[in-house]
Amino acid sequence: MTAAAVAKDVGARLAQAAGLNATLHWSAECLEAEARRVDGMSTQGALHALPLAVKDNIVTIEEPTTCGSRILEGYVSPFTATAVRRLRAAGAMVACKANLDEFAMGSSTEHSAYGRVNNPLDHERVPGGSSGGSAALVAADVVPAALGSETGGSVRQPASFCGVVGVKPTYGRVSRYGLVAFGSSLDCISVFGKTVNHASRVLAVMSGPDPLDATSVDRPPMKAPAAISSLAGLKVGLPREYFPSDLHPGVRAGLDRTVATLRELGATISEVSLPHSKYAVPTYYIIAPAEAAANLARYDGVRYGVRRVGPEGDISSLYRATRGSGFGAEVRRRILIGTYVLSAGYYDAYYRKAQTVRALIAQDFHQVLGANGVDLLLTPTTPTPAFKAGEKTEDPVQMYLADIFVCAISLAGLPALSLPVGRDRGLPIGAQLIAGAFEEPRLLAVAALLERTLGGTEEVR
Amino acid sequence: MTIGSDQVKYVAKLAEIGVAEHELPKLVEQFNRIVDYVAQLDEVPSDTKAEPFLAGPEATPLREDVVNSAPLARPPAAMAPEFADGFFLVPRHGAMEDL
Amino acid sequence: MSWETVIGLEVHVQLLTRSKMFCGCSTAFGDPPNTNVCPVCLGLPGALPVPNAQAIRLATRAALALGCTVQSRSVFARKNYFYPDLPKGYQISQFDLPLATHGWLEFDSPERGRMRCGITRLHVEEDAGKLLHDRVPGKTAVDLNRAGTPLAEIVSEPDIRSPAEARVYLTTLKQILAYAEVSDCSMEQGSLRVDANISIRKAGDSTFGVKCEVKNLNSFANVERALTAERDRQIGLVESGQRITQSTLLFNAGTGQVRLLRSKEESHDYRYFPDPDLPPLVLTQAWIDEQRGALPELPDAKRERLVMAYGLSLEHARVIAADRAIASYFEAVVAAGAEAQAAANWVMGDALAGYNAAGHFTVAPARLAELTRLVAQNKVSQQAAKRVFASEDLANPSTTSTLAIAEKLGLTQVSDTDALGSWVDEVLVAFPKEVERYRAGETKLIAFFVGQVMKRSQGKADPKGVQPVLAEKLRA
Repeated sequence: MTAAAVAKDVGARLAQAAGLNATLHWSAECLEAEARRVDGMSTQGALHALPLAVKDNIVTIEEPTTCGSRILEGYVSPFTATAVRRLRAAGAMVACKANLDEFAMGSSTEHSAYGRVNNPLDHERVPGGSSGGSAALVAADVVPAALGSETGGSVRQPASFCGVVGVKPTYGRVSRYGLVAFGSSLDCISVFGKTVNHASRVLAVMSGPDPLDATSVDRPPMKAPAAISSLAGLKVGLPREYFPSDLHPGVRAGLDRTVATLRELGATISEVSLPHSKYAVPTYYIIAPAEAAANLARYDGVRYGVRRVGPEGDISSLYRATRGSGFGAEVRRRILIGTYVLSAGYYDAYYRKAQTVRALIAQDFHQVLGANGVDLLLTPTTPTPAFKAGEKTEDPVQMYLADIFVCAISLAGLPALSLPVGRDRGLPIGAQLIAGAFEEPRLLAVAALLERTLGGTEEVR
Repeated sequence: MTIGSDQVKYVAKLAEIGVAEHELPKLVEQFNRIVDYVAQLDEVPSDTKAEPFLAGPEATPLREDVVNSAPLARPPAAMAPEFADGFFLVPRHGAMEDL
Repeated sequence: MSWETVIGLEVHVQLLTRSKMFCGCSTAFGDPPNTNVCPVCLGLPGALPVPNAQAIRLATRAALALGCTVQSRSVFARKNYFYPDLPKGYQISQFDLPLATHGWLEFDSPERGRMRCGITRLHVEEDAGKLLHDRVPGKTAVDLNRAGTPLAEIVSEPDIRSPAEARVYLTTLKQILAYAEVSDCSMEQGSLRVDANISIRKAGDSTFGVKCEVKNLNSFANVERALTAERDRQIGLVESGQRITQSTLLFNAGTGQVRLLRSKEESHDYRYFPDPDLPPLVLTQAWIDEQRGALPELPDAKRERLVMAYGLSLEHARVIAADRAIASYFEAVVAAGAEAQAAANWVMGDALAGYNAAGHFTVAPARLAELTRLVAQNKVSQQAAKRVFASEDLANPSTTSTLAIAEKLGLTQVSDTDALGSWVDEVLVAFPKEVERYRAGETKLIAFFVGQVMKRSQGKADPKGVQPVLAEKLRA
């Protein structure tokens, strides 16, 4: 199929999927331009004509990057993210910019200034967040793969809610240059795929050090792994803290299926412990907002984006009116929390303490994963299937708890993915696999085999 | 622990985010809710030692001193809310040191 | 009441790099506004910093030149505040773990003689942009060309005890950093900026008084004036029974006064934390040693060597060592065959004047060396030599002989006794009355005869040689 034909088809699917509100920008002109570029390439790249949705916090030159916020309404970046450049060089096409929780802060995409996204499997429910738009577009078969970003689970969680594959690489594996910063020590460009194979191939192309990102790790790009047919010799650990007695029965059933399948394939299952797990979400909600408070200080109405000036007409009222009206409620809460935990008198009690606990959490993982422990960890991705819109927006902490199983992995910088392992009354259930740092090839090979064996859309109970 | 609205106002001032009076009560309530939640970390003793965790590389790479800045697809003038004669413009007064 | 003044200085110097601290934009001065900018230094969404290796090298050399301990591991930190010249809403600097600590600066205090001022720390950071007020009425214009330029911040211990001492600290610091080719250190051009902290206490007290910060200083002389004004203000307050509140003050060069900018209650909470976009700066011992090796001989060492090797006085050595280029030139002139003191005199005099005017030495060392030899041999008088030195011909790089230039200009003098003798004879014949008067006892007339010989020889006679010839012939 020519890129032009693929682009035309994607355009039709995007139009049809408008009711999801999953996109923020797309146009037939942009699609055609992408197709012309690809069809004009002298050799076909590894991702030839693959259409990708790109979360709207990853900058591109051709279309606006709003980060789901009013403060960047109409902002068009004058440079392109490294990850997108690499994907395009391999023949991929940017299909659209996808909707997200404002500045990637949220777990349901209800905090977008441009309206929430509908979960394709049930429009009354959320697709998860913050990369809800990207997840929905893959789930609705608009695109076979999409870029999202993770800070505390924002690709794995929506992948679980939407029944698609979501992969977070090791921190530093993919360049952050061009990813609008939220929590710099946590942020990772991550991938959704209809299948594990889609995600693997995209990740392979994007990965590798970037001289423009000092936090990118100097390792050769990841290679998409070859298919395996058995898990004999594989040791999988189940951290007891992730299997509470009151776990949602549909989630439990999905995980039980997964464990059974792993055993059938030859893996050994054991119980392990990650004792500091319960501190993951509170730790995250100190560190991420602190980094965000500084990262979002640049949105001040001076050089780009929207500007408002208050009645006093001076520089302070420019800042306060621009930021007061430009940021939504969740972003404002997080900036204030972040400012507070860094402020004089509170730094040690909150920020410094959180860094210590983060180190303990990372240590937990290092102790169970590795030569003397297990190769992979298996947990549920989310405590429940997709919840209904409006259910968790009243109490911010309730929303934070949606990330209870994905958060710690982000703090430890490890790679992980969510795989659809079944449905509970039609709603997707996701299982999370976690690997040691830079062990993506094994992680993806195991997930691909599971995917082939399991049947991810079967009812679990 | 209760953080009063004066304190929240002060934090908002540090962060240069305008908060309308009518928004304050709910904001203060939610702020306290979050701070109470993250204060769980008090359970971990202050003198706990842990091997410091670094997310990325152990050392920063350095770049050679060559002039090669990434070209901009559009100039500052195209992005700026207010621009004239090559300069970004902002209001003259308020919190400006008379230098 | 006897008061002691306590002063600490914070100096920011722009490092001599081609590109900025965290991006590849040019640091060139004077380009059209907002043209040396990129996503990183504009603070655009998605941009990331990567440190400049040369900036780190230069800062390390500065630290070593100031006797500091260079830390093998230091950390970049964000200093958070809002200001239109600060694109990211934070400055990337260093806080808890700076590049270098525990150095010192040795200099001659006008009041206390040779002394050492401790240097608490030296760290690297990025500069902010420039603001121009009222270029457009009611507006402030922002130019981000300078935003991101590499700076080294050097913080002294509060060891300075007078405004005059502060000035010498600064001139010495500038000399060292200029020697090390780390920075131009020009206050006038903004490549060196000073913030001064000053407090007073009763003489003999060991506790510190409340300190105030003085900013907006644009020359070393004004630093001294501003600190004098602030010291007097503080003494005045305390002596009239009032308290000093910790404040920031601006100096007005026109009036010589300081005025309050803000007091402590309004001071900033910068909320420093390690920058998560930058892993730690790790320097190996071998790399640090390489920077030490790259340092030239520093002013103190050079001064000592000039005294030892060339027999110069300490005062002359000080003048010549003030600038590395001057010292180099001096040594080249001596190496080309000039006697050390003669070379020193020329270098401190005419050569230095030429250097200050032109920005470089106009006369090649070999040509000046030859000139000094011509003077020593009496082939050119000292006065004539100045004219030879100043001539365009001598400055021409293709000139290979000073003597040729002197001859071309007709400035060589005749010392040959026979030639001198014949002019003397002519003069004595022309002025018989004066000869009689001289022989009768008016020995002062010798000056008249010398003058006449000079006239008759059209200035060519060597006056030093004329005198003895005259004396002998007049005796007869």
